[in-house]
Amino acid sequence: MHGRIEGSLMLTWALAITGALLLLPANILPVMTVIYLGSGEPSTIISGVMQLYNAGLWGIALVVFVASIAVPAMKLMGLFLLLIQVQLRLPLLPLQSMRLYRVVSGIGRWSLLDLFMISILVALVDMGVIAQVVAGPGSTAFATVVVVTMLAARSFDPRLIWDVYDQRCFDNENPGAGNE
Amino acid sequence: MQRGADVMQRRWQRACHECDLLITDALAPPGQKLVCPRCNAVLHRNPKNSIRYTAALSLTGLLLFIPAATLPLMHFSIFAFSGESTLLNGVAALFNAGYVWLSALVLFCSVLAPLVKFLLLAFICWGSAWAFLDGPVAVAVRWYRHLKEWGMLDVYMLGVLVALIKMRDLGKMEVDVGLYCFVAMMLVANLTTLSFDPHVVWARMERRRRRARAAVAGGTQ
Ligand SMILES: [Zn+2]
Repeated sequence: MHGRIEGSLMLTWALAITGALLLLPANILPVMTVIYLGSGEPSTIISGVMQLYNAGLWGIALVVFVASIAVPAMKLMGLFLLLIQVQLRLPLLPLQSMRLYRVVSGIGRWSLLDLFMISILVALVDMGVIAQVVAGPGSTAFATVVVVTMLAARSFDPRLIWDVYDQRCFDNENPGAGNE
Repeated sequence: MQRGADVMQRRWQRACHECDLLITDALAPPGQKLVCPRCNAVLHRNPKNSIRYTAALSLTGLLLFIPAATLPLMHFSIFAFSGESTLLNGVAALFNAGYVWLSALVLFCSVLAPLVKFLLLAFICWGSAWAFLDGPVAVAVRWYRHLKEWGMLDVYMLGVLVALIKMRDLGKMEVDVGLYCFVAMMLVANLTTLSFDPHVVWARMERRRRRARAAVAGGTQ
């Protein structure tokens, strides 16, 4: 069967915190620049979404917004919620936590959407002075965020939730046992 | 006899992989799925004809991989200038621009992981028929489990769509044959993931071992 993950809690904490710290450069630094006839401004993830929205492409703007901004943020929040709950042994409902765990581990991969798009455009639009797409340093930071949070979701062992639950049930059935 | 009973016990009782609840009789009837009563994890899906479908689908996927990875996915042109996109030239362009880590990630998620997934599944399905491959097949199943979520053909497909729409004001965007092969490969990859069930492989190995034991026992009498 599946073995338990060694040091799961600490590893997940470390990866989730790394991901949260990297989220800042990933959103501040430009991810790519579209240069057309010699001019072009670097765009960040957020300004890329705004450009799409302003061009009237609100459908695709929403898709990119969800994949690149909402998913990483929600994923990190979900991870921290799970971690805090296990760490402090909070009496939350285990079934809700399991649902959160499954959502968190399922959605992360969609954040790579923006990076795939950049890799396609960099090769596709490469005509020297006429038009060119160049990647920016933000893309590296963003790629690291996605990978680190995917690994964090992977390293979180859902059985920790049930350990807390079992312990609480045990404490309730045997009051005073913990005081000795 | 004692050992036989032991084996039976291990086959019929196991712990849920998400909450450690012990479950007896944890096998679903074909075409249905079994869910953990405590945490709702899917314990066993038992797709119909799992091995046969997975074997055929993974082979189809491997065949589709060749045109999808070599033919251009799309063309972009401004005036007389044009460029084309393949699965690999985006990776190469990023690598040449100095984005080594990013290009490695794109290569892994859009080319290597999907390819290795098809190869592993083809190997698991065809290889589980022979006793001497039991060890390697078990290793392949474990690898497949780790690799599963890193194959991102569907996410890449969405990236293609966003790129198509984003650049349509700048110049002329045209879809190429490679993209059709890519879409087909993506669909086959998703179907393959759905039809594969490791328990069917373990059951197949167990059946073969029991037959072999019976044959040996019959031979000595
Ligand atoms: Zn369970």
